[in-house]
Amino acid sequence: MINYQVFAPEIWLVSTAILILVVELFQSPGSKRSLLNWIAFLGTLGSLLTVIGLSGWCPMGCVPGSVAPQAFNGFLKADGLALFLKMVILLATLITLLITFRYFKTHASPYPAEFLAILLFSASGASALTSAQEIITLYISLETLTISSYLLASFMKKDKGSNEAGMKYLLLGAFSSAILLFGFSYFYGLTGTTVISDMAKSLAMQPSSPLAVFALILVVGGLAFKISLAPFHMWTPDVYEGAPTPITAFLSVASKTAGFAAFIRLFWVGLNVPALQPVWVGLFAVLAAASIVLGNLEAIPQKNIKRMMGYSSIAQAGYISTGFLAIGPMGLTAILFYLFVYLFANMGAFLAITIVSHKTGSEQIEDYAGMWKRSPIIGVVLLVCLLSLAGVPPFAGFSGKWYLFGSAIAKGYTWLALVGMVFSVVSLYYYLQVVRQALISDPKDSSPIETSPLEKAVLILCVVVTVTLGFWPTPIMDLAQTAAASIF
Amino acid sequence: MLSVFATILAGFAASFGFFHSAAQGPNALPILTCFIAVPVLAALGIMAAPEKWIRWISLFAASVELGIGVKLFVIFQTAAGGFQFVEEVPWLKSFGINYILGVDGMSALMVFLVAAVYFAGTLISWNISLRVREYYVLFSLLVGGVAGAYESLDLFFFFLFYEFAVLPMYLLVGVWGSGRKEYAAMKLTLMLLAGSAFMLVGFIAMYFTSGVHTFDIRILGDLSKTGFNLEFQKIWFPLLFLGFGVISAVFPFHTWSPDGYGSAPTAASMLHAGVLKSLGGYSIIRVALPAMPDGAKYWLPLLVSLSLINMIYAAIVALKQKDFKYVIAYSSVSHCGAILFGICTLQAAGLNGAIIQTLSHGIVAAMTFALVGLVYGKAHTRELAKLGGLSAVMPVLGGLFVAAAMANVGLPGLSGFVGEFLIFVGAYKSGYHGGFPIFQTLFPIAIMTIVFTAIYYLRLVQMVFYGPLKDPHLKDEVKDGSYIEILPIAFLLAIALWVGLYPKPFVDMSNATIAPLIDRIGGFK
Repeated sequence: MINYQVFAPEIWLVSTAILILVVELFQSPGSKRSLLNWIAFLGTLGSLLTVIGLSGWCPMGCVPGSVAPQAFNGFLKADGLALFLKMVILLATLITLLITFRYFKTHASPYPAEFLAILLFSASGASALTSAQEIITLYISLETLTISSYLLASFMKKDKGSNEAGMKYLLLGAFSSAILLFGFSYFYGLTGTTVISDMAKSLAMQPSSPLAVFALILVVGGLAFKISLAPFHMWTPDVYEGAPTPITAFLSVASKTAGFAAFIRLFWVGLNVPALQPVWVGLFAVLAAASIVLGNLEAIPQKNIKRMMGYSSIAQAGYISTGFLAIGPMGLTAILFYLFVYLFANMGAFLAITIVSHKTGSEQIEDYAGMWKRSPIIGVVLLVCLLSLAGVPPFAGFSGKWYLFGSAIAKGYTWLALVGMVFSVVSLYYYLQVVRQALISDPKDSSPIETSPLEKAVLILCVVVTVTLGFWPTPIMDLAQTAAASIF
Repeated sequence: MLSVFATILAGFAASFGFFHSAAQGPNALPILTCFIAVPVLAALGIMAAPEKWIRWISLFAASVELGIGVKLFVIFQTAAGGFQFVEEVPWLKSFGINYILGVDGMSALMVFLVAAVYFAGTLISWNISLRVREYYVLFSLLVGGVAGAYESLDLFFFFLFYEFAVLPMYLLVGVWGSGRKEYAAMKLTLMLLAGSAFMLVGFIAMYFTSGVHTFDIRILGDLSKTGFNLEFQKIWFPLLFLGFGVISAVFPFHTWSPDGYGSAPTAASMLHAGVLKSLGGYSIIRVALPAMPDGAKYWLPLLVSLSLINMIYAAIVALKQKDFKYVIAYSSVSHCGAILFGICTLQAAGLNGAIIQTLSHGIVAAMTFALVGLVYGKAHTRELAKLGGLSAVMPVLGGLFVAAAMANVGLPGLSGFVGEFLIFVGAYKSGYHGGFPIFQTLFPIAIMTIVFTAIYYLRLVQMVFYGPLKDPHLKDEVKDGSYIEILPIAFLLAIALWVGLYPKPFVDMSNATIAPLIDRIGGFK
């Protein structure tokens, strides 16, 4: 008896994707394609509703002691952690779809249905990854996510940048997946099981072996690529710049969130054994520091805003990794809260970027001059979202960093928190360059930039969430806390 | 003119009416939250209001704010001491964060200062014409942030409000500034936030090391509850001192200050020099000293040299400036050095002196920056070489500037004197450190600052206002200050005179904070 409820969100996504492909078959070539957009939108919304339904229509797992529903002998488990991350991923997908509406107005594609369907397949992979309890399931979900992403990144067939992005992403991504799989095979050999929690039990009984450390390094390397931690970050700026903007947005939030889900399941549950834990904690401390330093420094000279956001997302992955070192409910709460905050800040910024380049046809930072005159709301969104990424009060990124670095300091990583804070100030420099153009400089061309009511609503939502959670993080913190309690 | 006074009176009446029984009664409005909410609500109102109402809303809010500031000053019970009007709301239990506001003698003085400078700054901004709505929104938000920082008794909110104030400053300097405004804005923001990076890590380190797991300043300031060992104090006191010190432009992190003030629009430099900069010294006394007294005793004899460099070096640099506003900016750095010097003495007199000097510097710097702004607006240049003899065309502003200069120099009868006098008494009384009377040795050097200050201010008065009128065109073009320009400056001058002539209520209030603090931590023996 299979408990379909556990993967209802994925069923929604996949069947919506198939529905889109079918509907497109019956559409005459000249007909309006916005129907497809709306189907995708509603399907994702339905998926989000099932996530809320799974949590019993109340904040994640609010019935204490209740057992999380599971399927396939516990290979998939919809616990609080999975549900919270699914929520983040699906919200990101929703905003990505909205960005897609706008993007296709500029970049007419002959294959909108395929684009939407692949996007939803990708989201279903990310969503399934959050509830995977077993390394093969985890790997398959991860590949569903990334292989779809390769296609999406290179979707603009006539565009050189998009082709380059897709090719680079495919080659490096396939390589890293192979390394990851290689690492997994060693762990299977060492423990004789693919279930993560059983792996932990088996590893705990074994003495420390160089083979296990070797496998560990392979897994860290393979996964670090997916969330673009330095020094596995080289692909990020090129792919972010070349990929269609909605995909850049999707990669920066949904893909990263799924990556952290894999990290937490694998390392905090599976490899959290005395023999291995110091090794990977040390590795991650170095990777986090390197990402924070390199990401922020390399973002400074960027002229293209998507490229800058690429480097910024490397630094953001570094910040989140500081919370990853603080193994425990507090660290997980901080990570979940920050991912939620990061979702709205990044998505708001990318929506604004898409709207602006639809009008100006440019992605250069200097072409953001005079937004205060051309579209005050975009000016405000850029101010709020980018400064939230920089961690400036009173925006949510500030309280997010307070908890992330707080949980790191609690575990004795004061130096890492100091690196994070100092480089947050460095990051302020390049974020402020955009703000300076948008709010201080005078426009070169002062024609207004229009936003549709739906876009306006989402932009305002991003601003409101980001400002409110800065002052009053309590509701989402409570939610994140109950979600985090589910794996401890 | 009538409508301006009517608005001010209406603002006063409103605040006195609302807070008539604020000190008592369970259902009274939370006066401290209101003090933060008034400018924030004003900002929201200005966003929505029609263009012609903007100035009036801002003036009304500033008057209400001044009314609250005065009211707090009056109803604060100096004899009782301690934190009063405390408001406490649990915020995030899992991380020990509570929304706690409260004022003691020291912060009641600062709240009064914030209200006074906000009021004066609003009037000075009356003639702003570029992007008026955004200007007043940011200006009001800046005040809201500073007000919150002075009232917060929880480190999370302290930090939040403080940085909240820095952000509008960036845009105020960047958009409405002059000269190399974008460079100055960026420098100011980055340097201030770099300082606060150390603050934040220090706060969280205190949270976890203390074991009490709270950000409540009252508890963290009690060593018997936190038990920070000497090792911890030795590491974190100097880092916090420098982190806070950046706000007060401590050497060598002072360079944002002249550039920032040189470029900022008048009201922004008034608020920043007057109230935001004072936050540095204030938070050393509020957070760092009580929490880590042993670290303070270990490091302060060394850190005092930084404040001494601030005083002397900035004063000498001020002598050589060619730009009117830069002289004032360096003068402000020099005065902040005196504040830090007073704190370093760890004597009741020295710390009281530092607080009175903070208040005085706030009032006087605001007044001086206002005057510079007016002169710049009328003469269209700030280059000292091109200015001269302006008293002939603007006698009232000239007279007011002489008064402001004297207050800066520390002429008895004006506020500057009281603070500096107490600071030097504190330095003289401060004890030995490692068998060496370090403060007694240094304070003659510190006193030299007064001489330098006198020289550069007299030079300034002479170069700008006296002598023959250098630019004859000004004779027909320029009018003396209008009532709306003179009113805020006269208002600030009145406070400076009050503090100078009858400092007792002010010193008593600051002593209500300092005496118990010194009792608890002890000075240098």
